[in-house]
Amino acid sequence: MEEKNIKAIVEEIWPRLKKKHLYPELPMPKTGKAVDPNQEEEAQNEGVGLEMKQKQMTINLAFLSAIKEKMPEEKVIEALLDHGITHYTFCPWDFHTHLMLYAEAKKVMGDKESAKQVSNYFIDVIADTHCVKKRSTEIPELHRNLKKRKVEEVIASLYQRIWGIDLGIESSRKGEEGHEEIVRRLVRIPYLDRSKWSESIRKFARSLKPLMIAEQKEQEARGEKGKSNPQGEHDLTHYSSEEIDNGLRDYAKKTKALSEFREVVEDFSDELKEAGYGMEGGMGRGYGTPIDADVLFYMKLSENYSIPIRKVPIEKKGSLHPHSHSPWEVGSPFQDVDVWTSFGKIMPGITQIWKKKEGKGRGKMEGTPDCLIIIDSSGSMINPRKSLSYAVLGAACATNAYLRNNSKVAVYNFSDAPMGGRDILDYNDNREEIYHVLCKYFGGGTALDLEDLIPLIKGRKHLDLFIITDMKITNLEALISFLGQIQNRITAVHIGENPYAARFEKAVEKRKNIRLFTVKRKEDIPHIVLGSIREYFNPTHGSR
Amino acid sequence: MRRSIEMKTVHPQKKSLIDSVDSRPWATKNPFEEFKTFTFQKTDIPLDQIIQSNEIVMDRIRWGYEKLLEEEAKELVWMVQYNTIIKAYEVAEKYIKEIDYSAEDIEDFCFALENTHRVPYLIPGPAGVYISALCNYAKEEEIVLKLSELKTEINLIGFRLPKGKRLSVEGDTGDFTGIGLEGGELVVEGNAKNWTGAGMRSGKIVVKKNIGLHTGEWMMGGEIYVGGRVRGLGNIVEGRVFEREKLIYPGKVRYPNLYY
Repeated sequence: MEEKNIKAIVEEIWPRLKKKHLYPELPMPKTGKAVDPNQEEEAQNEGVGLEMKQKQMTINLAFLSAIKEKMPEEKVIEALLDHGITHYTFCPWDFHTHLMLYAEAKKVMGDKESAKQVSNYFIDVIADTHCVKKRSTEIPELHRNLKKRKVEEVIASLYQRIWGIDLGIESSRKGEEGHEEIVRRLVRIPYLDRSKWSESIRKFARSLKPLMIAEQKEQEARGEKGKSNPQGEHDLTHYSSEEIDNGLRDYAKKTKALSEFREVVEDFSDELKEAGYGMEGGMGRGYGTPIDADVLFYMKLSENYSIPIRKVPIEKKGSLHPHSHSPWEVGSPFQDVDVWTSFGKIMPGITQIWKKKEGKGRGKMEGTPDCLIIIDSSGSMINPRKSLSYAVLGAACATNAYLRNNSKVAVYNFSDAPMGGRDILDYNDNREEIYHVLCKYFGGGTALDLEDLIPLIKGRKHLDLFIITDMKITNLEALISFLGQIQNRITAVHIGENPYAARFEKAVEKRKNIRLFTVKRKEDIPHIVLGSIREYFNPTHGSR
Repeated sequence: MRRSIEMKTVHPQKKSLIDSVDSRPWATKNPFEEFKTFTFQKTDIPLDQIIQSNEIVMDRIRWGYEKLLEEEAKELVWMVQYNTIIKAYEVAEKYIKEIDYSAEDIEDFCFALENTHRVPYLIPGPAGVYISALCNYAKEEEIVLKLSELKTEINLIGFRLPKGKRLSVEGDTGDFTGIGLEGGELVVEGNAKNWTGAGMRSGKIVVKKNIGLHTGEWMMGGEIYVGGRVRGLGNIVEGRVFEREKLIYPGKVRYPNLYY
């Protein structure tokens, strides 16, 4: 009965709330029993008031019944929903912002749990302050009635000061144990200035850190768990898989720092696994294997670059094309009927079918060939698992370009190949598998075993080759002679000026199918390689 | 010609058509109709005022620092010499005395120094003198600067810290920490570099971790407490230096700049 009443209240106020928040694209909130991670604490506290999963908000009935004596249910629901909606419309807004805030908080707090906690407090302060400033809301009333521990009391004091609303925090208590100094610091943060959030959260965390550590110690001494956030926990369940994908891509692009990305992904590994990350065969969707943060980093970063590939004439695609008409006979397939020349009738003698032929446009059909990526992972190359390797990034971008065009990619990752320092992946379209081989690092000497390459090239007339190396290859002459014998399109990228590179350049200068790109500084690889590939594969782009 | 006449006659017809459409009940409704009655509530909250006044104060502090650079580091080069420090401090005092600021503004300024959008030049010497002057003229008797995440170690912090003031720095400090201390108490929660406490007259310097070379050079009085290791002492005239609660000067023979 009570649940019905609450549902009726929600249905009644929801249109008004949507209008107040300028019609956010959110479904009607549900009512029910929210999952509370700290249920044992519920006897002392109200528990979680609002649960947010993807875009679905659920109001916890237990919370409402716990607080109804202090505040009318309508007002509690309105306050909770105002808060919840603002998370979607203002802060954190998207997964990338959430990750960024967490990463900044971790720089100050040092440990994962405290960083999560402090970023949640920060997100809540922003959301509530935004609501109080820009909407008519019952959030202050809700805060007045919530039970508070030390940190919540300090935050309530902060609200009193920045909102100018009495929340019942006594001034004598504000001065307790130097809390006044913390509040004084917190008050100065420009919460509503989105452009300063990364700087602001560091200041917020710096100010709250001593208090949070003290509270944590007290809790540990008492053997208690942390208190649930009555306004809802902020975790990855807020976001859909697409939002997480986009957030990781934006975060990789913004940080461009492998270690930072790895740290954040590892901190959120449980949540990411729940959201579907954890790939089949390494890192796909589904449960099981741990997330390879390094591979994920290159996957997400390379998604920010797009290389158009110039298609080449492919003689045989195996598809049939309408060529001429022939009379339809009973038993002939209906799908080949040409309705226009058959006058819309199925009748022997009148109905015509398309006669299909393969290879009528022989030599004129365009397609994207498969690609063999030869990547050097010898000691002179950057270890892609330690810092951002532009060689791997370049190869990853090329991989994406071929896979997008329904072509397959093979990888030959070599260091000292004749001594076993190599990894070969046959042609396939499994992105994760390809990335795993690209990210492998041997760190030894540099020698190719051409015997390994022959089976990958043999019998494939239409095949692109992409080689990325520093050219300090001990059997360079053998490679030059090998490349001289094949007619495939070859893109060779070498790093730095050295006699080996000069020798290679001289040897291939007359070969029209080989394009050589020199990179003087390793840092320039993504720009030069990607830009040059674009120019090479798509000449019209450069002339624009 | 005929065509143009026809076109002219079209206009009145069009108008009447639109009129008739509007009057019909099934006519297309303005999608923004509902917002006609919508009043956007934007309340001024105290936070706006606080942020605005903080910005004004920060602008004035930045302006003072830029003036100091203009006067004392014209070529963006500044040599640490006794005279240059004294002169820079006098210039800093001149501008700081006109500003009404709090201890939190000093910390914000330290972080703003690393943000090139806000402060174009961070020259460690004048910056340290300026921050010291800000601390010495602050209203608060106790100042806490939480600088752990600051990438730059600030030199000359605590210069001439007067009696009755306590400056606590969370994080490491650079060279010349607490030089010329005038009775104040300077606490560094991290490490301090070389020439710490040089020329200090009285007061107390506490460095919780390690300290560099020339510690207490020409020190005239006061005490230096080091929680970690002292890398080298300077030529101390008067005063006391403790390493891990043990008195190392005077008492134990310690040659200046002894590496150990």
